[in-house]
Amino acid sequence: MNVPDRDAAVGSQPADDRVGGDDHPAPIIEGRNIVKRFGGAVAVDDVSIAVSPGEIHGLLGENGAGKSTLMRVLAGVLAPNEGAVWVEGRKLDPGDTRAALDAGVSLVHQELSLVPEMTVAENILLGSTPSRSGFINTREQKRIAAEALEEIGVSVDLDEPIARLSVALRQFVEIARAIARKPQVLILDEPTATLTPAETTYLLDMLQRLAGRGLAIIYISHRIPEIFAICNRVTVLRDGRHVTTVDIEDTTPEGVVEFMVGRDLQLELETHRVDPDIGEVVLSARGLRAPGVNDIDLDVRAGEIVGLGGLVGAGRTELVRAMIGADIRTAGETTITRDGITKRIASYRSAVAGGVAYIPEERRTDGLALSMPVVDNITLPNRHALSRAHVLQSRKIVDFAKHLAEVVNLRPPEIHRNVGQYSGGNQQKVVLAKWLGREPEVIILDEPTRGVDVGAKAEIHRLIRELADNGAAVLVVSSDLPELLELSDTIHVVRDGRIVGTLLRDQADETSVMALASGQTKVDAP
Amino acid sequence: MTDTQTQPQHAETDDARSDLISRVRTILGRRTEGRAVALLSVVVVITAITEPIVFTSYEVTLGRIALIGLVALGLTAVILMGELDLAVASTLAVSGVIMASFESITIGILAALGTGLLIGVVNAFFVIVVGINSFIATLGMLFFLRGAAFVISGEAPVRLANVDAGIAFGRPLIGPLSPRMLIFIAAFVMLHIFLTRVRAGREFYAVGGNREAAHDAGIPVTRRVFTGFMISGFVASLAGVINTLERTAADPTAGSAVLLASFAAAIIGGVLLNGGRGSVFGTLLGASSLGLLQVALTLSGVQVDVQNIVIGSVLLLAVITDPSSLRAAAGSMRALVRSRSGP
Repeated sequence: MNVPDRDAAVGSQPADDRVGGDDHPAPIIEGRNIVKRFGGAVAVDDVSIAVSPGEIHGLLGENGAGKSTLMRVLAGVLAPNEGAVWVEGRKLDPGDTRAALDAGVSLVHQELSLVPEMTVAENILLGSTPSRSGFINTREQKRIAAEALEEIGVSVDLDEPIARLSVALRQFVEIARAIARKPQVLILDEPTATLTPAETTYLLDMLQRLAGRGLAIIYISHRIPEIFAICNRVTVLRDGRHVTTVDIEDTTPEGVVEFMVGRDLQLELETHRVDPDIGEVVLSARGLRAPGVNDIDLDVRAGEIVGLGGLVGAGRTELVRAMIGADIRTAGETTITRDGITKRIASYRSAVAGGVAYIPEERRTDGLALSMPVVDNITLPNRHALSRAHVLQSRKIVDFAKHLAEVVNLRPPEIHRNVGQYSGGNQQKVVLAKWLGREPEVIILDEPTRGVDVGAKAEIHRLIRELADNGAAVLVVSSDLPELLELSDTIHVVRDGRIVGTLLRDQADETSVMALASGQTKVDAP
Repeated sequence: MTDTQTQPQHAETDDARSDLISRVRTILGRRTEGRAVALLSVVVVITAITEPIVFTSYEVTLGRIALIGLVALGLTAVILMGELDLAVASTLAVSGVIMASFESITIGILAALGTGLLIGVVNAFFVIVVGINSFIATLGMLFFLRGAAFVISGEAPVRLANVDAGIAFGRPLIGPLSPRMLIFIAAFVMLHIFLTRVRAGREFYAVGGNREAAHDAGIPVTRRVFTGFMISGFVASLAGVINTLERTAADPTAGSAVLLASFAAAIIGGVLLNGGRGSVFGTLLGASSLGLLQVALTLSGVQVDVQNIVIGSVLLLAVITDPSSLRAAAGSMRALVRSRSGP
């Protein structure tokens, strides 16, 4: 360890000997034995991390593993309960953002932390506005901002308010802001979450260029291919604890996933449903037309999982919304069959009354009341069944919610906690629990695991299969190819609002679905 | 991968003139005072035709604008940070009464202004240190201070000991401009410079626009909020001093109509109640339109009740025509049409 004696006397040595080992140059930033608690919960438990100049260090872990908390500690945004952050062998004052910035640690936040009404130049220099006796030096402000933007190779009008920029451009302005501080350490928390593939590639190239100039970069992402594309080393956290730090050559994506979830996920992922018991057609569309939807015939049977594949913008969401009357239709009709009686779906209300549960893509805005406890969210659509003469029966409600929370394996299963305090995966489980309570005939899920970590994803898949096994007709829209292939009994591929091909489970693989989705081939329905 | 780079937001055009037009359009698109300008133009044109007396007796008109405007300017500093100060009108009253309780006019003025600053500190203390929502904290102060004004004054207007000073104060100083107008203009210029050119003032926008981001960027958020409330309290007490000097007496009921009018002025001027957006220039325009409207309505013999109806309508119109509200309204209209036209 290359730490000056003066400091070595004060600070404890890192617990993990692999950190900053012989074959790596001296680290520029070190977090030593960091512990961070929020109330009773331990978010980060005795984690050490060290990153050297020129290194891109990947940080992986499921949602809630403590990645963002650890990074906020390193950047001085949060003060750790135990342990300390050292930059260039000097200990930083805990929780002092300014000190961390001055020492050269810049954090690019997960949530965009720009001020929408201020200009690009002002945002890039927020908090370090050049000024002479209190007055802003506008020329200097623009010069530094332009320089930072040039360094990352992005051109944008310096006087434009942030509110008028695209989301991707805001992300780049955010990075320019970190660069403008002339950092030695750059921390990025899921910077590609809102970017298109092309923009992502550009960003990754840019980071490699910056690292080539001696910048130390810590890179958090859910996307394992990105980590393997650019990182030299990777640290995995699980439940707030340090699991491993390895050189990227010494590991594989599968190995990393195993470290993340702490169990052999592969086994779980490959358990297909054997011989699904598929029954009569429950949900049916004939000649359906709507804006972005062209002449669709579609059947979903009891016990069947039907997947809708295709590229983003192919019209899948429009299709399912038109099917259940959530959006306008211009032609055709859809029916739902329940107990042998077929009824036309005239409106979304009639669809819900007929036993349709629709879980939209934007669950945070459409599916959940984040500031309300789990119990209220779960029982919201089921209030009628839980009341006698319009008076809610609280014991019944609690039992009902507890049971469902158990079914979906909500963790921790505290039904009086606010939904907003749960991670994305657990929030999705609450949405599922809410609709499971109604015992739906038809369940439609739009991107059910977007932004959900690997472990929760497997559990959500298990739930979807269970629903089908219990006789529900399931329709899943997913842009996640492995998910689509793994779940669906039948896959319809949608392009330009039409079904361009139908594949059964044993016919479908990633290549055949992609070929159809991108319009390279046309396969006829069997 | 250069094609992922974003092009400049506005396409370059060969023609220099259309380039100029597009640049002007860009600049106008970034301004928030559009509605205030439109409203002011409409009011000016209509009053110029129907009640030209509004402009010939400009002292009355300007006086009215200055009273609403001054309080609204101070208020703008607080609203920009996403906070509210409901105590401004009560601050105006109590500082007037305190000023009149002193024999010496200088000491009275200093005591009044000091009171305003102190009230600002107390407000900020409740909001920042205690953590009370500013609406509630300053609502409490509104009642407390109004009560205090009555107690100190003995529930009756207090006459100024030095009436001559008050009379001298009302005389035009430079050209037609009375000291009240000059103070108002000075306050406007100083606040405008502070909020656009001074780093601390510019950071008010960051605090209001995204407080978390401001904090993470190392901006001393607490200090900025304290400053904002102190500006608002100080400016309100300044308005109280001016008001007292002009009337040569301090009335504990003074300024009761000012509170809502000054909020209206700021909002018509394009200041966003959630913070982060607006300008004192907009507030000035908003206050001018409202003041002009009030005087014009009064001079045409319109009842006060009816005046309030007009002002209320103008305020609603201003909020509805906010670009972001318009966008939201268009969206919900579309959704309504969509849900109605199902098969």
